Amino acid sequence: MAWPIIRMECPVHTCPERPPATLGRKLSRLRPWVQTGFLAVWLAPVGRWLHGIPGCVFHCYSCPLSSFACPIGVMANYAALLPVVGEVPYLLIGTLLLVGAVSGSLVCGWACPFGFLQDLLGKITNRKINLPAWTGHIRYVVLVGLVLLLPMILGYQGIPFERQVISICRLCPAGALEAGLPYSAQSLLAGNGWIMSGLKTGILISFLAAAIFIHRPWCRIFCPLGGLLALFNRFSLFHLRFNSKECVECNLCRSRCSMGVKVDQAVNVTGCIRCLECTTCGALEPAFALPAKNPEPSKPPVT
Amino acid sequence: MFKRIPQPPVNPASRARERHDFWPGFGVVLAGIIVTFCGARHLTGVDTVDGNTAWESQLVKAFSTGGLQFPDQVAPPPPPKLDDVADPGAALDRWAKQQANVQPPTWKIRVDLGAKAACPT
Repeated sequence: MAWPIIRMECPVHTCPERPPATLGRKLSRLRPWVQTGFLAVWLAPVGRWLHGIPGCVFHCYSCPLSSFACPIGVMANYAALLPVVGEVPYLLIGTLLLVGAVSGSLVCGWACPFGFLQDLLGKITNRKINLPAWTGHIRYVVLVGLVLLLPMILGYQGIPFERQVISICRLCPAGALEAGLPYSAQSLLAGNGWIMSGLKTGILISFLAAAIFIHRPWCRIFCPLGGLLALFNRFSLFHLRFNSKECVECNLCRSRCSMGVKVDQAVNVTGCIRCLECTTCGALEPAFALPAKNPEPSKPPVT
Repeated sequence: MFKRIPQPPVNPASRARERHDFWPGFGVVLAGIIVTFCGARHLTGVDTVDGNTAWESQLVKAFSTGGLQFPDQVAPPPPPKLDDVADPGAALDRWAKQQANVQPPTWKIRVDLGAKAACPT
């Protein structure tokens, strides 16, 4: 099967219809710096005492520099413990509810370190393989199957999460990059050989290679956390607003979207990571729901 | 082979309504704050190695440090060194009796707060 290949040539400066919106252009330039700044939060070795608090981004807690706990790892551990102690992860649920309801998947586009890495790899070439939209549903299969059900089933069989041969942590490319790679390199330098499994090494290499030709392959196809946070996009306080009065049908919004969202049809959807690149067109703008303003859907311009 | 995204048939008037009210999001934010607060004050049903009850944050931290202990991981005390005792036979008997009286642990899982495994998996 031949995948359609598109050139992500974003016509920000060449759009014949209109100049790029000032706010959108500023946000586009600001985003890499914000992502870099968040690295200092997630990769803060002095913050290891924060491992007791689940974070809100996909970031391995076994990384020597990690500060917060990985929410997916915590979720899988709780699922495996359910047959033994039946604890409810209040901290995890509360954190995800709070972050999801305030910002939706904004953290994916602006704060996630693994997403940032994929963004950087994606800059190597602008020729991208365009994935069909249904691949985004695989994230929920991973979430339910690999993060919740499988650890729970194996937990019922008396196998602790750490000893489960197949688990999200043993397959996770972020874990391979942030924990497996440094520990294996350390072991290799000490003369003890490469300790990361061949499967995990292969997964890491595959994803790094794929990120060059597919924009954010992990986020679009497999990320269970991104899928979960994206469910909040429809009602999160922070959202994207479409202003039809500003729309000149130039298609700039859709051309800027590297996640393949059909921005011209709906914006607050589960496929969106809220990178806000689409706001460059001016018809889409970031907004924050306030109680005083009841946002009426904008009416089309009277012609 | 390479192509620009074609111009879609955009019609802003036919675009689906995307209402974004404040209250659903605000309600979930409130729920998140309350649940997070409960989690921060939540004592789990899991004991620590030193006999206390683990806070939820300690349990979460144990996931990343390999701090979860299961009964089969607790090794029995080693037999006495027969070179160091006056009556090796009696010492061995005493040790065997002690082992026979040892009850299996009643706990299913407990948290070792001092664990520092680099990568549990």
